[in-house]
Amino acid sequence: MMYGRGACQLVKELSCSESGQLTAFNNDLFDRVIKECNAHHLELQSLMRKIQEEGLDIQTTRNADHYGAVIHHLSLVRNKRCLMAYVYNRAEIIQSLRWKVGPVLPQEIQKKLSYSEEEYFKNHSAALESYMSELELDLTVDMVPPKDPYIQVRVLDDIGEVLLSDQSSNLARHSMHFLKRTDAEQFISQGLMEELTG
Amino acid sequence: MAHYYDIDDILMEEQLVTVVFQKEANGVGLLDPGAETNRVEQGSKVEMPFWLAHELHQRQAVSVNLPPCFNQKTRKEIQADAACVDLRNRCLYFYELGCKIAPLVGDRTIGSFLLYTLTSRYKDVLSKSHTTVSREAPKLTKEETSLYETAQSSMIAFKKWRMGGPRFQRASILGRKRKPVA
Repeated sequence: MMYGRGACQLVKELSCSESGQLTAFNNDLFDRVIKECNAHHLELQSLMRKIQEEGLDIQTTRNADHYGAVIHHLSLVRNKRCLMAYVYNRAEIIQSLRWKVGPVLPQEIQKKLSYSEEEYFKNHSAALESYMSELELDLTVDMVPPKDPYIQVRVLDDIGEVLLSDQSSNLARHSMHFLKRTDAEQFISQGLMEELTG
Repeated sequence: MAHYYDIDDILMEEQLVTVVFQKEANGVGLLDPGAETNRVEQGSKVEMPFWLAHELHQRQAVSVNLPPCFNQKTRKEIQADAACVDLRNRCLYFYELGCKIAPLVGDRTIGSFLLYTLTSRYKDVLSKSHTTVSREAPKLTKEETSLYETAQSSMIAFKKWRMGGPRFQRASILGRKRKPVA
């Protein structure tokens, strides 16, 4: 598998998953593409060495060795682009996780991240927290323009006794409550509550 | 730079095109499955991904052949009944590839052909998106599919606004609802 095929498969993984969903970080394929980059680099160097050993000018020579070297160089650059795109597009999704899911990631998502991605999430989260505490404003609520300050909710999973901004409630499964919208938002996006309408 | 990280741009450039080598190249025998040594001879016909063909063409090392999805046969089929042609099968990135390959093969008619194809199929794409429930549209290329899905989601958003209902949703990345263990 040479000439960018493996790298393209990495990018295909991104496109096959539903938008916004993450697959597990493909360490094997990632490492394999990096190995291919090294192989291309070695081939490139040996072809360039051959040109120099024949006493030709490396800058202007356009022989078979030159075109071979160009193809290896282009493959290397292509692999790099695919690797970068893989990391970048995943990073965008991970960034959005802090806003959609909250500061703590559920296990099912966490196991899909590589170690660097976990660190990235933690640091991004910490930067956001420090910014929000300086402003004394929670930016992650009101993601939908608010209509009422209070909403009706039904609890889906046992949350237990919780101290909210204006009351202390026992959020037991199946119980219904009239909560401040800003308190309820986080629970709803984590799937622990649902909004009741009508 | 906006396209560097773009997934569709990367995948589109992986489409295979046929080229004829104008110069020989050493050390890259893997490109040509018919090569006996580790070199590609001048005049060899090789299939390679578009990104490589494009770069080599700029360096005047290869000449690029017109992909079959833009040939006379396909053009006649589209003129006969554009909406019925399975473009997805012929070339998933039909329009994107057409735009990029036109200068490489020196064909000035591709532009108007692409425009004709899209306008003929557009009405069908739009009407199907408002009536069908399924997310997948067969026979549509990548660009047509994104038009289709955009039309569908705007329809869904309109209905949701019309009927009211819960505005706060569970985060989509969390996947389907797990049945809580009793």
